[in-house]
Amino acid sequence: MKKTPNMELLDIEYEKYKLANGLEVILHKNNNSSLSAVNLWYKVGSANDSKGKTGIAHLFEHMMFQGSQNVPKEKHFRYIQEAGGTLNGSTSFDRTNYYEKLPSNFLEMALWLEADRMGYFLPALDQEKLNNQKDVVKNERLERYDNQPYGLAWELLITNLYSKDHPYNWPTIGFLNDITGYTLEDVSGFFKKFYTPNNSSLVVAGDIDLDKTKDLIEKYFAPIKPGAEVEELSCKTNPLKENILVTHKDKIQLERLYLSWHSDKLYGEDDAALDILSDILSGSKNSRLHKLLVFDKEYAQDVTTFQFSGKYAGQYIVIITAKPGITLDKLKAEVMHEIEKLISDGIKHREMEKAKNSIKSSFIFSLQNLDLLADQLNTYNFHLNEPNSFNYDLNRYNIVDEIKIINAAEKYLTKPNLEVRIVPEK
Amino acid sequence: MALNRSNKPQPGNKINFDPPHFNKFKLNNGLEVYFLPKTELPIVRINLVLNCGSRYDPVNLKGLANLVSMCIDEGAGEYNALQLSDEIDLIGAHFSVYSDDDSIHITLQVLAEHFDKGFELFKKVLLSPHFNEKDFEREKRKVLTRLIQFRDEPEYLANTAFEFLLFGKGDPYASPIPGFDTTVNSISNNDLKNYYSSYFGAENAAIVVVGSINENELRSSLNIFSDEWNNNVKKKDFQNDLNLSDKRLFIVDKKDSVQTEIRIGHLTSKRNEEDYYNKLMFNLVLGGQFTSRINLNLREKHGYTYGASSRFNYYKDAGIFNVSTSVGIENTANALDEIFSELNEIKNGVNEEELQFAKSSIIRKFPANFESYGQVASNFVGKIIYGLLDDYFDTYIEKIKSVELQDVNEAANKNILTGSLLTVLVGDYEKISEQLKTDKYGDIVKLDYQQLPEIS
Repeated sequence: MKKTPNMELLDIEYEKYKLANGLEVILHKNNNSSLSAVNLWYKVGSANDSKGKTGIAHLFEHMMFQGSQNVPKEKHFRYIQEAGGTLNGSTSFDRTNYYEKLPSNFLEMALWLEADRMGYFLPALDQEKLNNQKDVVKNERLERYDNQPYGLAWELLITNLYSKDHPYNWPTIGFLNDITGYTLEDVSGFFKKFYTPNNSSLVVAGDIDLDKTKDLIEKYFAPIKPGAEVEELSCKTNPLKENILVTHKDKIQLERLYLSWHSDKLYGEDDAALDILSDILSGSKNSRLHKLLVFDKEYAQDVTTFQFSGKYAGQYIVIITAKPGITLDKLKAEVMHEIEKLISDGIKHREMEKAKNSIKSSFIFSLQNLDLLADQLNTYNFHLNEPNSFNYDLNRYNIVDEIKIINAAEKYLTKPNLEVRIVPEK
Repeated sequence: MALNRSNKPQPGNKINFDPPHFNKFKLNNGLEVYFLPKTELPIVRINLVLNCGSRYDPVNLKGLANLVSMCIDEGAGEYNALQLSDEIDLIGAHFSVYSDDDSIHITLQVLAEHFDKGFELFKKVLLSPHFNEKDFEREKRKVLTRLIQFRDEPEYLANTAFEFLLFGKGDPYASPIPGFDTTVNSISNNDLKNYYSSYFGAENAAIVVVGSINENELRSSLNIFSDEWNNNVKKKDFQNDLNLSDKRLFIVDKKDSVQTEIRIGHLTSKRNEEDYYNKLMFNLVLGGQFTSRINLNLREKHGYTYGASSRFNYYKDAGIFNVSTSVGIENTANALDEIFSELNEIKNGVNEEELQFAKSSIIRKFPANFESYGQVASNFVGKIIYGLLDDYFDTYIEKIKSVELQDVNEAANKNILTGSLLTVLVGDYEKISEQLKTDKYGDIVKLDYQQLPEIS
């Protein structure tokens, strides 16, 4: 037997400090390639949207690519691509990120670009750009949700699981009516409130010289004025008092069942156990629900389960597509029965071993791309206040035992649930 | 003194990049091996590529290669389907088998400490698959159900209808990889076994190994492998005869869609060294990246779409040029007009600044194509599939640098064929057709996707 790979690999060296204006900086030197990665998190996501203005955090992400005082519209993309780099941004419930990966000799340009839109975005904002991006986002919504089979399921899940005042109650893309309604004042107000150096953290990773990089960050970011402190959202997740059933008609042929329960938040004490549970239920061909419903009985075309968790709340989700002629009642009964069986009969050692080994190798595999590594440093820093949490994170899974999973299944999955049924229009 | 931010910072010292050099050798059984040691992480990646794929599916059995790739890991050696899957999971490996038009790919990514076990399992799948009747019937029903689901997916309908109509019924590249209801229904388990014995031979395959493994160790594993895999499959001949057609437009009716999926394009020459780089360059300007003319026009200027792009796609023995986007249904005709106008315009060529941008982005991005183990392996698989020269990666940057504006512009004029454009739209026929009341799109045909296999 050969020795296990050195977990020193997952011990990621870094330096972390704050500029006087509050910008948090995390540097990681890594000479595996001649690339460097810039990854900037603003601590604002759709959770910070408000009723009637849903989707503004996401729309704002689009606006950040519309130019700033010293960078004309489209030039952010143009300059990075000209340098051989790749770039994008994304918005989730909890945060918005922007990232570039490019040859390391162009690092200064990437920092200049990010600093310009952090500090000098407003002078370049105008109505024409806003109107254009509202149209683009409307089309994004149509393309990715409204015109996709089962495309509205996610929205139905979160709007029904979370109470109206919960920050996860609306989709990140926003409702169509809200998207059409944003004004310039909404956008500039949003910028002033959330896009401040003291509400963001910057990771620079890869083929970098630490001292020079610090100087460059100081040069471009230090002059940006801090803003008012952003208040933490206050948030209480109300449990479901009873089962909820939502049926939605869609342009589809095969019925699909979604079951969801409130569960633990990200990095909460049961979060890792629920990840392993989902591997046991549906992570492989021989996982319980897959074997039963897809392989043996052929009641289902596919089955997925997963723990979806964020800073403020989490939910456990089961998704099953019915084979023609199989009712969703039948599928639901089978799922509930399997969950009961797991709680009463326990879990085999081999099931645990499979899940844990898969998770272990996925940690090593995840180190291959510099941009993903940089984003993970920001993820850990945001949630755990410690960028180098790879070993801590892996250990969360290693210490989970059978009892912990059974307890988590019992604690969450025997409570009232939300059931969303997507059925064909007749 | 306040910092002057108005000037874009200049790059630091130029970076030298030496592309990876594979060791290439042949095993006794005829299998070509490409090996690259890559040691920064304890990972080994294997991509085996077999020269077959859906283009060899008999015309009445379309979907055969796909079913072979689905069934081949449903039990092998001493393991049944579930046991085999467990064995792979126990070592935390990523294992996949899939078919495309030209090839079947078997890939394994595993931690170096589990390489021996992983390679044993890989070999079992390749060399001793069970092809049990029961597993076959189940996987076949899965495909048939998937075909029902595809009818709901506008991108799938657009992509498959476009290629079917472009190649024309009867051409080996015309049918979608999973096949059609009628053809999949006709496939038997014996067809899978025959396909396997006709194509799964060492001389009809190549293997790429990238990773943290000692070459001597690898060679001894491969020598054993060579003795185990000895059959007499030879490379199969392939012939096709492709012709351009007149301008025409098809609408695949999908009632009440809120968007229209658009595909516009025509056949193009297959991949060859002479015009590949010129086509790559003008396409980057036309629709090959975010700040291309087509995306800036349709998205950033008009707001018709979330994104629009164009590309030259190459199969082993065919090439396709196409533009694709998805637009709000009320802007279907507007978007078509803008796309046609960009296609006409690109025939006049690009300017020096646009060409410099295209060259610069491709040249400087080159090193990033070799970051992950999987990326490196699939780059080499691409080289094998297209039969590119051994020095392809070494000379790539020089070739891009030497591209001349005049040649790019001649290539644009020659390779964009506005008189032969096939347009496929997927969306609400009523709402689309009322916008298309002119003859500039060619003949307009309404299509029910289910009738596609009958259209000649």
